Amino acid sequence: MADKPTDLVQGTLDMLILKTLVLEPMHGYGITVRLEQMSKGTFRINAGSLFVALQRLQRAGLIKSEWNATENSRRAKYYILTQRGRKRLDSETREWGRQVAAIARILEA
Amino acid sequence: MSLLRNLVIGIRAVFRREKDSKDLDEELDEFLEMAAEDKVRRGMTRGEALRAVRLEQGSSDVTREVVHAARWESFLEICDQDLRIGFRRLWKSPGFTTVVVLTLALGIGATTAIFTLIDAVMLESLPVAKPKQLYRLGDNNNCCVMTGTQNDGSFVLYSYPLYEHLRDHTPEFKQLAAFGSFLSDLSIRRLGGFSPAQPYKGEFVSGNYFEMFRTSAFAGRMLGPQDDTAGAQPAAVMSYHTWQTRFGSDPSVIGSSFAINTVAYTIVGIAPQRFYGDTLRSDPPDFWLPLATHPDRWLFDAGPEWLYLIGRLEAEAAPTEVQARLTVELQEWLGSHLEVIPERDRKDMSQQHVRLTPAGVGVEQLQTDYALGLRLLVTLSALLLLIACANIANLLLARGSSNRSQNAVRLALGAPRTRLVRQMLTESVLLALVGGAAALGVAYAGTHVILSLAFRGAQYVPIDARPSVVVLGFTFLLSVATGIAFGVAPAWMTSQSDPANALRGAGRAVGDHSSKVQKSLVIVQMAFSIVLLIGAGLVTQSLRNLQYQHFGFATESRLIVNIAPALAGYTPDRLAGLYQRLEDSMPHIPGVIGSSLSWYSPLDGNNANERVYIQGKAPDYRWTAPSWDRVGSRYFETIGTRLLRGRAIDEHDTPATRRVAVVNETFARRFFSNEDPIGQHFGMRDVSHSGDFEIVGIVEDAKYQDTRGPAYATFFLPLLQTPPGEPVQGWVSAIELHVAGTPQNIEPAVREAIATIDPNLTVLKVVSFGEQVARNFNQERLIARLAELFGVLALILACVGLYGVTAYAVARRTNEIGIRMALGAERTQIFTLVLRSALVQLTWGMAIGIPVALAGGRVLADLLYGVKNYDPMIIGSAAIVLITSASLAAAVPARRASGVDPLVALRYE
Repeated sequence: MADKPTDLVQGTLDMLILKTLVLEPMHGYGITVRLEQMSKGTFRINAGSLFVALQRLQRAGLIKSEWNATENSRRAKYYILTQRGRKRLDSETREWGRQVAAIARILEA
Repeated sequence: MSLLRNLVIGIRAVFRREKDSKDLDEELDEFLEMAAEDKVRRGMTRGEALRAVRLEQGSSDVTREVVHAARWESFLEICDQDLRIGFRRLWKSPGFTTVVVLTLALGIGATTAIFTLIDAVMLESLPVAKPKQLYRLGDNNNCCVMTGTQNDGSFVLYSYPLYEHLRDHTPEFKQLAAFGSFLSDLSIRRLGGFSPAQPYKGEFVSGNYFEMFRTSAFAGRMLGPQDDTAGAQPAAVMSYHTWQTRFGSDPSVIGSSFAINTVAYTIVGIAPQRFYGDTLRSDPPDFWLPLATHPDRWLFDAGPEWLYLIGRLEAEAAPTEVQARLTVELQEWLGSHLEVIPERDRKDMSQQHVRLTPAGVGVEQLQTDYALGLRLLVTLSALLLLIACANIANLLLARGSSNRSQNAVRLALGAPRTRLVRQMLTESVLLALVGGAAALGVAYAGTHVILSLAFRGAQYVPIDARPSVVVLGFTFLLSVATGIAFGVAPAWMTSQSDPANALRGAGRAVGDHSSKVQKSLVIVQMAFSIVLLIGAGLVTQSLRNLQYQHFGFATESRLIVNIAPALAGYTPDRLAGLYQRLEDSMPHIPGVIGSSLSWYSPLDGNNANERVYIQGKAPDYRWTAPSWDRVGSRYFETIGTRLLRGRAIDEHDTPATRRVAVVNETFARRFFSNEDPIGQHFGMRDVSHSGDFEIVGIVEDAKYQDTRGPAYATFFLPLLQTPPGEPVQGWVSAIELHVAGTPQNIEPAVREAIATIDPNLTVLKVVSFGEQVARNFNQERLIARLAELFGVLALILACVGLYGVTAYAVARRTNEIGIRMALGAERTQIFTLVLRSALVQLTWGMAIGIPVALAGGRVLADLLYGVKNYDPMIIGSAAIVLITSASLAAAVPARRASGVDPLVALRYE
């Protein structure tokens, strides 16, 4: 663990969770592991924040959940991206790209 | 969309809480298990892995709580919890709860009672369709019959021809209706029945009156234009209230015939239940009659102005334009009817105009009469409620200090401050709502009392004391606002306490800033209550002086019966016979000691005056015209007025004998300052009549009209003696009876005797003399009772306030008291220590309040009768009442302080 884990930029956790679910449904722990791997250890999500976010996304209809067997043949709740969630991810990704580009231009000027 | 979805999910979640939380538990356990397994795979032992996971993820209880709290519906659950806790805590301290709820019930109740009246009197529209379209032609309540131009040029009273002119030339009005500006006494007997005629109130209205209001009948039909024509069969509409209370809701009333002032009318319908006519007032009309059936035909000439007009404007008509148009029409009409404008008024003619005023609440009579009083009451009750809030805040603080350590522990264990504040606020709002519920009862009773005081003597007041939906909403909001108002400060102060300090037992200071604020508040309350107490004492004493003054007659064991021979169709030639039969039959009623007849009786609201010309003296116009009355034989002995000299009027004074008069002392003094009045002559009309009446007796002064000033100069004439060639003016309307025992007991016998003489002769009213006099003081009585009520309320509140502050101080100083006792202070010393600080506030309050009361009493001075605003007895009594109550209030916590066990106190947190 070279780098200290940092806090997420406000409001980005939802987007990142949606991103992790694009390829396949995942359970909660899987999502944290995937986020940690993808960010190379920069982002670490604790259970509290994760489940609050999952609850929020589910209520907004962006993801849905079902109980399923895990690879170790245990029971876990898997989260699945819905059609709405996919659209939201697309629009948020584009928006994020625009903002990052704009911020970068300001910082480099 | 997502809001709705969220709502649905949230509500579903409330009902599936068990399952949801089990789901979350399982998911969370699984999560932690997976994390631990991961770590085991990377080489940790299972024990190390579990420990690491717990360090990384925090306690799973907290996680569960965080996830749970993120749901909006958890707010409801917390409220539910807070409510339960609140209820439990209030239940556990019944004394505190009772005091607070009672204080609130009084404070909110008084405010709600006043608001009920404001709602009913000021805000409530007439119970008719689209009241906003109604407009009245005129802006004041000048009454009765006038001629010529009107006050300030604003036309209010209209003659019948002028009404017709305006009605027919103003198409903007869908309907323009006219009605009498005063109600008429009616004598009514159901034809075919045997009961004697009964008195009722009637209003004469134009044929389109009900169409204009868009009022349709409860049963039968209302009056229409066809009823208001010269040849129409007389028809009348009865009010629902009269139908219900006087005729037992008998359906056969509709279509049946009634003799109204001896004319046969058909009752064509019953008005809707809530309809009381055009004006909110006590004793509204029992019957509505067409103008065309009015017996006084001279009222329909162009001269007399006596009708009020209300019209319904078309939605698109602009009131200002209509008003301008009406003024033009009025000017046109006046211009073409110069003969009805007296010479003196001609110069004002060009200023005559019509002011169109919204009439959604009808003719604003009560509204104008009571506006100032109600505004004053609102201010007073709002002030009381504010004080009540401050007091309860004090009580809560006192209570909060005993919960300090508990709260500190909760804070230290991680309870969010907002949660603590919310919990305390929930508790105070809960208290306020319970208080508000109790206040509804207080308000209902209060409204009742105020109405019965303000309208003493009225048969029926069409104001509902029951709280309306608006009032219920008002009370609810007021309670919540009150709860927040008195809860927020203590909650905030408690939540700000540093848990460490509280746990260490610090902050048991001897005094701090907040206690100064509280003490000043108590001082203000003490001052306020002594001002109100002194005020109440003054107006009460004044009322007593007024009511029990020497009036110049005796009210005990006297009964006054009012009749109206004119309504029963009597003509002047039949009066002598009627009077004779009344004078013969009254003394034979068992229990009657003496009886007499008169035109009117003292203090019944009537007064007649007439300029007099003394024989042998130049006319003296310096004086206002003296009052006069017609009286029968034994009049003065019956009402208990003493005859000073000469003789009274007796049965020998008939139209055939010498014309005589009796005068009172003031009359004698004014017109015959240094001669003997007896044997002198005077008359009315002009100098040529100055020999008409000879003075034969002098009676003591008695008050007939004005209860505060001295008696008017008055002369009394026999019932039937008139100046030569003139008809009798002033027919008998009062029968005075001096009875043995309670006057009301003989009422049935009197009614029976009168019905035997003539079943058409209506008994308008039977009232004891005392009650008749008492009704002159309705306003004074209302003011006195309200002042007493508010005085007592303020006193209670001030004592609660003093108690709260003292109790709070004792609670905070328990440690200090313990130390003092440990160092040898006696219990009585502690008692006086606490009591003294309370009495200091009391003294300050009185030092401020008494001068304020003295200054304020000057404003009252005009209202007071026979009592000075600095009356030492009243100020002294008020002070004693306040000192006693305040000492009792302070003694309770002082006793508690002196009962403190030093050992316990020293350990006290």
